[in-house]
Amino acid sequence: MRPAIQARELTQRFGRQVALRCVDLEVAAGERVALVGDNGAGKTTLLRLLATVARPASGELRLFGLDAVRQRPALRPRIGWLAHEPGLYPALTARENLEFFCTLHGLSRARASECLELLGVAEDAGRPAAELSRGRRQRLALARTLLHDPELWVLDEPDSSLDAEGRALLGRLAGGRTLVFSTHDRALAEGLGARVVELRSGRAVDRSALQVVH
Amino acid sequence: MSFTACALAVARKDLVSEWRSREVLPALAQFVLLALVVTLFAFDLDATSAARIAPGVLWLVVLFAGLVSFGRAFAAEREQSSLEALLLTPAGPVAVFAGKAVAAAALLLACEAVLVPGIAVFLGVALPPLVVAAVVLSTLGMAALGCLFSALAVQTRARELLLPVLALPIWIPFVVYGAAALTGRAPQALANLLALDILVVVVAGLAARYVLDD
Repeated sequence: MRPAIQARELTQRFGRQVALRCVDLEVAAGERVALVGDNGAGKTTLLRLLATVARPASGELRLFGLDAVRQRPALRPRIGWLAHEPGLYPALTARENLEFFCTLHGLSRARASECLELLGVAEDAGRPAAELSRGRRQRLALARTLLHDPELWVLDEPDSSLDAEGRALLGRLAGGRTLVFSTHDRALAEGLGARVVELRSGRAVDRSALQVVH
Repeated sequence: MSFTACALAVARKDLVSEWRSREVLPALAQFVLLALVVTLFAFDLDATSAARIAPGVLWLVVLFAGLVSFGRAFAAEREQSSLEALLLTPAGPVAVFAGKAVAAAALLLACEAVLVPGIAVFLGVALPPLVVAAVVLSTLGMAALGCLFSALAVQTRARELLLPVLALPIWIPFVVYGAAALTGRAPQALANLLALDILVVVVAGLAARYVLDD
């Protein structure tokens, strides 16, 4: 079976600063991987590359066998990406936020209602996103990432602001899709049955399928 | 989902957000009125001199109001961290850009709807319809270029400074042709503006993909 993610010597630089150094990573389809590490270790940088919202400085990244740089347009509809910030429109209601993205994905508006139910925020459907609590906004943002039923779910600290019920929901929503997420909570990673990959100063130090290239 | 439907969805989202948050439009209307009041007191105006400076006041106010309107187009997406989510949809960067340019142009047109009657009230000058047509045509091209530079500037730290530095020199041809609409060569000036609009819309559309999605 073809891996969902194949990264070879993935490196990312911001000016002179090297944020990610020669990371190799292979993730099987349907596998769950938790990225852990201190602040500034490179978790968000790696997730942004996997979500195709940034280009690597060097190295090779293939998602579902496709080149993540050159074949980005074909890959993107298969990816659900949650950044550290929820990325919602504060003046729009919860339902309008989702319906807007349904339009851009070419989905029916009924899908917005389904996802509101799925994430347990249906009662907030008519409230502006600005009026929702941080946790409810996080649920709404997760709902947005699931609208198009992505095969690869890339989440940057999805558990931030989520209550216990919301965290439990993550595992159920991941289902059979490939999940890569960052967290500071190893218990969450274990709870989701995820393989833990640790990043230190831009280097991956996982014991299993991840190698450090010096 | 068609390009037009996606662009219109983005434009509608921006206009609904603006209508509810009232972030830009009241400030623009206030700026227009203040500029006219300042003009009234700063110049020793009589019927002849007012008619002579009115087109100049019109173009200056349109240019500076344009900087505000177009500057907010992508700054708001950046502040809300929502641009990445937009770019991951199948709508594509050009449709997103087109939608935002349409919304920003609509805001500037609304501002001009205050400005033109304002000039008649404050300066006692009724602008000829051909001049109004020239302003409307210029707004379209200025919106395309202004939003392109806004998308570029928003990725930098000095975005408030960069947008005027980039946009104002490139907007000069619109002012030159617009001013020519006051002379006996008005039809030719309007034709030139139309040709310029088509050129910059095509160029901005082609460049938007690289500016937004990198």
